[in-house]
Parts: sequence; structure tokens; C-alpha cells
Amino acid sequence: MKIFLNTILVGLSGGAIYSLMSLALVLVWRSTRVVNFAAAGQAILSTYIGYEAMNRMHNYWLSLPIAVLAGALISAIVEAAIMRPLAKRSAGTVVESIAPVIATLGVLGGIRSLAGLIWGNSFVQYTSPLSSKGYTIGSTTIPFSPQNAAIVIGALIVMVIFAAIFTFTRLGLALRAASFQPEIARLSGVRVDRIRTIGWAFAGAAGAVAGALVTPTTYLSPNSLDLLLVSGFVAAVIGGLESLVGAVVGGLVLGVGFAVILQYIGTSVTFSAAFIILIIVLLIRPQGIFGRRSGREA
Amino acid sequence: MKLNSPKRRFVLSCIIGALLLLLSGHVDELRSYQGAQVAIFAIAISSIVLLTGYSGQISLGHGALMAVGGYAAVLAQIHLHLPYPITFLVGSAVGALAGFLLGMAAARLRGPYLAGTTLALAVGLPSLANQFHLLGGEQGLSFDVGSAPSWAGKDFSQYRWFFCVAIVVSLVIFWLLRNLLSTRYGRRWRALRANPTAAALAGIDVSGAKVLAFTLSSSVAGLAGSLFAMLLGLVAPLAFTLSLSFTLITGAVLAGVTNLGGSLVGAAVLVAIPELSNAVASHFGGSEKVTANLPGVITSVLLIATVLLVPQGPKFPKYPSLKSLRSHKH
Amino acid sequence: MFVQLRTSRTSRTATGIFAAATIAAVALIASALPAHAETGVSSTTIKLGITVPLTGAAAPGYNKVPAAMKSYFDYVNANGGVNGRKIQLVVKDDGYSPATTLSVTNDLILKDKVFALVGTLGTANNEATTRLVNSHGVPRLFVNTGFSGFADMKKYPTTFPLFPSYATEAKVMGKYIAENLAGHKVALIYQDDDFGADALKGFATAGTTFAAKIPYSALSQADPSVIGKWITSIVASGSDTVIMFGVTSATGALAGGLYKAGLIGKIQMILGSVGSDGTTLKGLLGPLAPALAGSIAASFLPSPSDATDEYITQFKSISAQYNPSAVFDNNILVGMNTAMLTVEALRAAGPNLTRTNLIKAIEAKGSTWASAAFSPILFSPKSHVGYTGYWFGKLGPDGNAVSVDGAGKYTLYTTDSGSAPVVKATSARPAMPAKGLPNN
Repeated sequence: MKIFLNTILVGLSGGAIYSLMSLALVLVWRSTRVVNFAAAGQAILSTYIGYEAMNRMHNYWLSLPIAVLAGALISAIVEAAIMRPLAKRSAGTVVESIAPVIATLGVLGGIRSLAGLIWGNSFVQYTSPLSSKGYTIGSTTIPFSPQNAAIVIGALIVMVIFAAIFTFTRLGLALRAASFQPEIARLSGVRVDRIRTIGWAFAGAAGAVAGALVTPTTYLSPNSLDLLLVSGFVAAVIGGLESLVGAVVGGLVLGVGFAVILQYIGTSVTFSAAFIILIIVLLIRPQGIFGRRSGREA
Repeated sequence: MKLNSPKRRFVLSCIIGALLLLLSGHVDELRSYQGAQVAIFAIAISSIVLLTGYSGQISLGHGALMAVGGYAAVLAQIHLHLPYPITFLVGSAVGALAGFLLGMAAARLRGPYLAGTTLALAVGLPSLANQFHLLGGEQGLSFDVGSAPSWAGKDFSQYRWFFCVAIVVSLVIFWLLRNLLSTRYGRRWRALRANPTAAALAGIDVSGAKVLAFTLSSSVAGLAGSLFAMLLGLVAPLAFTLSLSFTLITGAVLAGVTNLGGSLVGAAVLVAIPELSNAVASHFGGSEKVTANLPGVITSVLLIATVLLVPQGPKFPKYPSLKSLRSHKH
Repeated sequence: MFVQLRTSRTSRTATGIFAAATIAAVALIASALPAHAETGVSSTTIKLGITVPLTGAAAPGYNKVPAAMKSYFDYVNANGGVNGRKIQLVVKDDGYSPATTLSVTNDLILKDKVFALVGTLGTANNEATTRLVNSHGVPRLFVNTGFSGFADMKKYPTTFPLFPSYATEAKVMGKYIAENLAGHKVALIYQDDDFGADALKGFATAGTTFAAKIPYSALSQADPSVIGKWITSIVASGSDTVIMFGVTSATGALAGGLYKAGLIGKIQMILGSVGSDGTTLKGLLGPLAPALAGSIAASFLPSPSDATDEYITQFKSISAQYNPSAVFDNNILVGMNTAMLTVEALRAAGPNLTRTNLIKAIEAKGSTWASAAFSPILFSPKSHVGYTGYWFGKLGPDGNAVSVDGAGKYTLYTTDSGSAPVVKATSARPAMPAKGLPNN
């Protein structure tokens, strides 16, 4: 029983990390119908910027907003400089759905190489003042630390903020309109291009939160968020791509499923585990847990 | 004589093949290797063209299907002692089987969901090799197709032999695919890609056509995987990473996804890009940080620029009927 | 239309054949130019090549090796080179992918025309280039992997592994545990590939029993769920000792996980040589680095922090001059030590430097050369096995190992990859040549 509870805790703290990256992917998907494979790369760059800020100011909490702003800016630039012209040029052609995949993969590779060029290909440490030592209950230390708590809280805050924006603000309405019916939105006075860029900026900010909160539990290198790219995407697909709540739930399902498989089936299936969980979920619900069956196509 | 008849294509393939084989005697080993690489990548890219360009499905996991074909071919050689041309067929057949199973799941899934599933497959499948002793673990299993037959002469290098094998196989595949695509199956897939709803209304069995496309595409990928194993002389999990899958899609886009002939162009660009960016990087020189990472930056910039400037690859689709098939835009 | 097409194709063919003929003619002339002694060797230079991951997930740590080798070669070059020839090292990044390794090795051998490969990294990576290396008879010196298979002289006639095999290391560790930690419950974490399989074989030979055996997939060690599973398994098995037979980032992850679970000081870590480089671990763990203090680590080279070791002090001063930006750590030491053995091999092959001479020279005299490791080198006409032994150290709070027998005193445990017993030896290593310049 104790092992089981520990496994669930391990799964939840891992899942919270996937949730954050999954949120970044869902935000982009909702605003432009693009799966952003560069999300992990953008998060790497913003985290390195946070790391630089921390080296100068010696304060993690001050470096955090800087990383988040940088993430939003990077993402907005990627959208405005690459994705927007690409969408216009490929609209209505056979490559409409895969050209963005290639472009974001290009951005991912480019950012990784750029980070290597600037900061080198070795590990560096971006640390937070929060302890990564698990809380102690009675005489046992549980595998859940203040840093894990920060990640879970971070994921929830990001989810709530963006859900509120989407549901209650004019901006949110415009965001939804711009992605579902760009033509009609444009006709009704929504500045679709600008709105889409804002959608990407939001996603970049969420990814930056992920990078800046996760990195203190491990280390930073141009490739340190690679695994997160896959698990974040799988989590988003499990959650149904459309829903912010789904993104978080998808991340947690993946995290807990992962921990349970590792604990009770064995660690040798680590990389196959994501596939197994995904297939199980999609066989039951091909549109993901929170997706709508009648949802529009890419 | 009709310009596009199978017979004429056959004659053309033979001429091109004979020319290339002749040419192989006049280039150095390095170029032979690169030529073989181009031919193998071209086959792999054509499997994506078949899937994405014709049936409208996306796969981020074709690197894993290449692994399936490669491992199958190698195991057929090691345990069944089959001659290597037969092992290529085994690789292709096992690839088809894997593709059929995946295609059954894929037919239920749309766009990003399929992309996610195939992505997870690309990450998960190759690492299985470490779980089973039969598959040789991290250092993999070696694969030996032998050297050129003795009548070819003593100076016939190993890479020239690989080049010849790869060229012959790729021409056969291209001839088969080209003919297949001009049959009713090809037309069905195109209709499907252009508008699934309209295709269904026209009486096309949508999921059947999708599964068939996935199966065929995987069989071609499996064949490419066997040839890749021949070139490397081994199969190992590290040889079939996620980046291989991404490389193939990149090649397909560079090829202009709907253009079978473009696969060759895409493959040539894939082989040329690292050489080009390394040359540029070494020209600038500088610290190791720079020489190690500059090629990556240049490759990415080239890739993004290509997609931006010519999103549909070097050539545009040949069939004007596409426009009339396409329904309103969303 | 058809006829026209045909004509144009024929003329294109003609052009093609003409071009091909020209290329062939040029190639013929080129090959008829005055022959120099050997590929990659001129009267003033020797060209060597290395493949190593400089980018990608496997790069951290290893990417420092080529620069370290270059610094030592530069030093030798500045002091007259080898028989009047200066050594050039061509470095290629393979990102740890065997397919890329083969491509760039093609470049090294067929385009750059290197004389030999040195320190090429990775098991599958070296395996992928074996056919090319064998067919061209290219010497492949001191490959950077502990896979014992490369010592097979029939399959790899021109290849010389240097590092002791993983199986050797596991046998030695088993012996150490039997002698020093008898009665303790031990858990083993290992990579579930050949690296780990070799280790399991070694532990089995040593007769070590484990309370828990925990495999992990390479590159999955950064995942929190994976680390969580390690900790729960260790705790559940009741172990008070854990062996980490993995890469540096896995060691870092384990230390972080133990710290997180409040188990530092309660569970003794024993680290394999692959994953115990102090500097890399410090970079990896940051403020958690002190969590490593007290861990036992197996090594075959002396500790990079040992100021009393003549090899360390000499290499350090060369590195400070020729590779000033590098922090002197185990990776730098490995690179410089490999470079020094390479220079000794090139010297031993004599002024008439050919690939055959080089291989013969290593087989004939390699076992007598100076190198930083305490272990003997077993090169002979009948064996391509390099180092065979390890010593044990305790990591200090700075991440550097100090011998368990006290600073500067090293007890060496040697054995083979098979069933030979583990024997203890006190080190008798050739002295560092004057100024660090080989005089063999």
C-alpha cells in the first residue's frame, strides 16, 4: 500500500510536468490548429534566458517572470516571422497540414543548435530556492517536495488563468473565433493575425513556466527537455487537444500511468509506456478524453 | 505511343538504371556511398509520399517501421539463412504487417491524434531491442549482403556494390508505385485526401482505402529499412531514432509531398545538406562550440527557408483535377 | 515529340559519358601522382580522425575529449612532433547515432584520408564503421567504450580497445563488496543494454547477489517517474547500499532522488567508472553536489584532483597552456592520456610510418608504454585487451575521489572479462616521461 501511494505521488509530480508542456501545445493548437514541435525548444531558450537572469540577479523568483516574458516573446516571433507567412503560402494546398510540422521541427533544431552555440553542450544548473527534498510525514519522507508542489501549483495557475481568459474575456472569444472560423472572425472585425500571435505568445509563456519550474529538478542542456516534447504531446493528445482541463488531466493520466507501469510491469518498457497508454486511451476514445467527436479537422 | 504507359516507364527505368550503374564505375567510393544513401532515402521518402501525399494520413513513426523491416531482414538472414534479396522481401512483408496493424488503429484517428500515436511509436519501438536478447541489444545485429559477385571484377568496391543494389531496388519500387498510382487505387486515395466526405459519398470505402495505403506505405518503409541495414551493416536501436522519422518527413516535404519523382530530389537534398552546412561551418571555423553547433543552425535555417519559400517542394502537383476535387476551404 | 525527347536524351547521355570519362581520366592522373608512404602521412604531417558526440543528449562530458586530445598533440607538435611530423586531429560530430558515425567516418577515411582513427566513441557507433575500417585496414586506436567484444582480433584486426571492460569492472566491484560490505543488502541499477548486460555477467561471475536489480532504458534517466521508481524499489528491497552502473546523468539523477527522499547518509552509493566524473556531476547536481560525498567510485585513471600524481600535474600544466578554458576533469584526463599513448604508438612505428607498422608496433611494444592508469596494458601479438584493473576511491564534498587507502595510495584490483580471479596489486606504473614527452 505504501509503495502504491508512493507510486501515485511520483506519477502526479511527473504528470504535473507533462501537464505544463501539454498546456503549451494545446494553447497553440487552439489558436492556430498547429502542433508546435518547437514548444520544447522555445522552452529551452526561455529557460536559458532565465538562467542568465538568475546569474546576474541571484534571485530565482525574479528570473522566473523574465523567463516567462522571454518565452512569450520568442513564441510570438516564431508565429509572426515563420508560421504566419507559411500558413498563408500553404493554405489550401496538400501540404497545409504537414508544412507547419516541418517548420516547427526546423525551429526546434535551430533553437537547440543556437543554445549549444551560445551556452555550450554541457550541463548547467538553474536552481530554485525551494527544496527538492520530499515532505516528511511522521517518520517517512514522501516522494513529493516543495519544488513538486510548485510545479503542480504552476500547472493549475496556468490552466486557470488561460481558461478564464478563454471563457470570460473578449480576447478569449476572439481567440476562439480566430481559430474556428478565421474568415468569419475577420469579417466581424477580429484582427485574426494579431490574435493568433497572441495565442502563440500565451503558449510560449506556458512553456516557459514549464521549463523554468522543471529544470531545477534536473539540469539544463540544449537537449534537456527532449523527453518533455514527446510526453507533453502525448499528454495533449490523451486530453483531447481542445481543452485546457484536458491538457492537465492528460498529463496526470500519463504521469500516473507511467509510474504504475514502471513500478508494476518494469522499467524496461519506459519508452514503450507512452505508446501503450496512448493506444489504450485512443482505442476507447479516439478523440481523447476531453475532445469532442464532432470537433473540426486539422 | 502513350507517354505514361507502364511499358514505356519500364523502358525508361531500365535506361536510367543502366546509365547509373555505368556511372558508378567512374565515381569514387564516397560518392558511391552517398548515391546509395540517396537511393535508400528516396525509397523511404516515397513511402511517406504514398501515405501523406496520396491518402492524406500523417505518420511521424516511419523510422520505427524502417526498424521493423531492417530487423526482420537481419533476423531472416541470421536464423533462416535466406539469401539477401529474399531478406529484403521479408523486411518488406513484415513492414507491411506492422503497417496493417497500425493502419487499423490509424483509420480511426484524425490528423494530430494519428501524429501523436505514430510519434509515440517512433520513440517506443526501437528501444524494445534492448528487451529481447534475440534482437541484439544496444550494439545491434550485423547484416552482411556480401560483396559484388566475382564476375564484376576485383576492383568493384563494397560501396559501389551497395549503390548498384540500392539503385536496382529503388527503380523497381518506383516503377511499381508509379503504375499503382495510376490505377483506380491511386485515384481513390487522391479523392480521399482531397475530401474524405465526398469520397465516402462517392462510394469509396474510406477506412479500407486508408488501411491499404498505410500497409503499402509501411511495406515500402520496411524495404527501405532493410536496405538501410545493408548500408550500415547492422541494425541497432540508435540507428532508428525519432530524428530519422523527422528526417523522412522533411525529405517528403522537400520532395513536394504529392510527387513521387520528387522523392529523389528530397533524398539528394537530405544527403547534401549536412555536407553543405559542415563546409560552411568549417569555413567560419572558430571555437569547438561554434563548429559543433553551426551546422545545426544552418540546416535548420535552410529547412525553414525551403518550407517558407516553396512549401510544396520543387515541383507542383501534376494533376489539375485536384483543384476541382477540393471542396470549399474551412 | 517522342523522337525529340530521344535525341535530347541521347545528347545528354553523351555529355554524361564525356563528363564521366573526364572524371575518370582526372582520377587516373591523380592516382598516378608520386606516391607518398601512406594515406594520411606526409613528410611533415600525420592526420588522425575521431568521431564523438559534440551535440545531442549524449554530448555533455564527452564533448570535452577531442579538445583535450588536441591540446596534447599541439604540445607534442610544439616540441618537434613525432619523427619530425606534426599531428593533426580531424574531429567529427556524430550525435551518438551509428548512421551518422558511418557517414562522417566515410568522410574521414575517404575524403579527409586520415591515417588512423583514435578514441572513437560508442559501442554501436564503432560497430557500424567496422566493415569500412577493416576493408581499408585503418588502425582504430583506443576506442572509447568498455564493450569487451572489441578485443576480438579476428573480427576487429585493426582495433585496439583501451578501457577495461564493463565485465571486468563488475567483477572487481563484486570482489570489493565481498571484502568490505559483506552482510549488507545491495541494490543494483544498470542500463538495460549491452553496457548493463556485460555488467550483469561480471557480477554473476563474482557471485554477487542483489536485494534488487533495477534496469533502466538509456536516456530515460531524466524522467521523474523513472527516478521515483528507483527510489521506491531500493527502499522496498531494504537495501542499505546501491550500485549505480550507469552514465553520469543517471548517477546525478540517483543522487538527486536519494536526497529528495531523505536517504543521503542512510544508503551507501557505489558508482561505476562511466558515471562518476566529479566535475560533470557537480555541474549536473549544482547545490545538491554534497549529496555525493562518501560515495565509493571505481576508477582506472588516477583522480584528476590528485596533486601528488606526476601524470596529473604534468597533464594539468599542459592543459592550462594549450586548452586554457577547460576545467581539468576526468574527460580531459582520458583525452590527454589517449593522446599520449597515440604519440607513443606513432613513435614506436618508426620514421617509415605505415598502418601495418603501427599495428605491429602496438602489438609488440604497447604493454611497456607510459600511461596514467595504474593498470598494466595487455597489448601483445595475441591480445588487443588494454587496461584490466580498477582502484576504489571515496568522493569528497568537492566531487573528487580520494583513494580508500588514503591519498596517493592506490590498491589495484585486476582481472579479465572472463572467469579469471580478481587479484589485488599495488601499482607499479611506468614513470611519466620527462616534460610529458614520450621517449620510447
